[in-house]
Amino acid sequence: MSFTIDHVNKSFAGLEVIKDLFMQVEENQIICILGPSGAGKTTLLNIISGVIPADRGKISGFADKNISYLFQEHRLLPWKTVEDNIDFVLKDKISLKERKRIIAHYLDMVDLTAFSAYYPSQLSGGMKQRVALARAFAYPSEILLMDEPFKGLDYHLKRTLREAFIKLWQADKRSVFFVTHDIEEALLMGQEIYVLTDRPATVKGKVPNPIPYYERTRNNSALQRIENEIHQLLSSRV
Amino acid sequence: METSSIKTILVTAASILVMVITWHLLALMLGHEYILPTPAETARQMIILVSSAGFWPVVLATIGRGLLGFIISLGLGVILGLVAGFSKAAYWLLQPWVTVVRSTPVMSVIILAIIWFESNLVPVVVTLLILFPIIYGNVVAGIMNINKELLEMARMYKVKTWRIVTELYLPSILPFLLAGASTAMGIAWKVIIAAEILSQPQLGIGTNLMIAKIDFATAQVFAWTVVAIVISFVFEYLIRLIETRLNTWS
Repeated sequence: MSFTIDHVNKSFAGLEVIKDLFMQVEENQIICILGPSGAGKTTLLNIISGVIPADRGKISGFADKNISYLFQEHRLLPWKTVEDNIDFVLKDKISLKERKRIIAHYLDMVDLTAFSAYYPSQLSGGMKQRVALARAFAYPSEILLMDEPFKGLDYHLKRTLREAFIKLWQADKRSVFFVTHDIEEALLMGQEIYVLTDRPATVKGKVPNPIPYYERTRNNSALQRIENEIHQLLSSRV
Repeated sequence: METSSIKTILVTAASILVMVITWHLLALMLGHEYILPTPAETARQMIILVSSAGFWPVVLATIGRGLLGFIISLGLGVILGLVAGFSKAAYWLLQPWVTVVRSTPVMSVIILAIIWFESNLVPVVVTLLILFPIIYGNVVAGIMNINKELLEMARMYKVKTWRIVTELYLPSILPFLLAGASTAMGIAWKVIIAAEILSQPQLGIGTNLMIAKIDFATAQVFAWTVVAIVISFVFEYLIRLIETRLNTWS
């Protein structure tokens, strides 16, 4: 099973946002899409999720797949408790008994079991984003789209969330499309890093990152070589 | 928390005490019971009033009309507010009607209602016309203010439409609706008594206010006014109670 984004183009009111973008990826990988802010990365995710159609080109492998989302904002309903927030996206799809088990499992994975009856207003920003993470994995999906979900958080929080995410993903693999403008984040999370150009977005190059997650530390020389490669790609002209 | 709430109670009590003392001093200065009765005289009249056989039917008649008008405007405001909130066409269709109703002076509404309806019904119709635009406007504002990001999230996670309505829209509208209901309740008693004064139904606080005025019984006017204030206060308190009951999450 693989996913193809086949020479996709998209314009808004004459402004070219995505141009001739091609990607072909295997399933159950974490694909990082690295590009400058405002380069059309969110538009690409919207095309993948089917929210907006491509002008030209086509995507394949995504049809009739269930998709989970992780947004920049936690997007939790303030009047629902942590467990009811997760339940909100599971209802009508899974039986009550099964839902209870799933919610308990994923809250345990993000260390929030003790907070299941709390309202979002009673949680810290990082905890709320962990609930959103649990919701994304609890939802029965094959694909997970992440739109800079750790943007604007402090260094330690980002690290905690990254680790929570990798832990969840390793236990329960999905095809992840992770959009970011942060090179470090792409290096630490991606198994394949697609470097995009500025608008109109097209693929400048693809950098594989086969280093296992537990070896991805600052002083790992192999990771530094990949980082250099990304920097070269970013500064190169197409 | 504990000490601050005790402080609040003390300050409120002191404020009420100053109010009563000022009232008493003013009454002594003026020296005419007809112009300004003392608090003690008003209290005496109140005791006579409350213990008289005719008191409760009068109070209940006014409360009944107020609640009837309030409940009808609540129902109508919610239903039409939802329709207008979800459909732009319905919104623009209703807009001129609501604007006319909202802009008509309360006295014009009362006088027209007296011409068109029998005196028992007048206060109800007037309350309905005054309260409806408030409730309606707040429901529409609640729908317009819905968090678009939450809505997008629910749609992307393929949550069923009826669930989005009941679990996302309704809770978002609720604070707006309660704020509208609270404002409407506050106005309701003022409007209903004004309408009763002019339409003179057989039983009603407004009717009795007018009778007391004709009799030059100013202490009775004060007594009935205090009754009206107490009713308004009790219902405002009830709505606040409902508000805190429903909003356990913020």
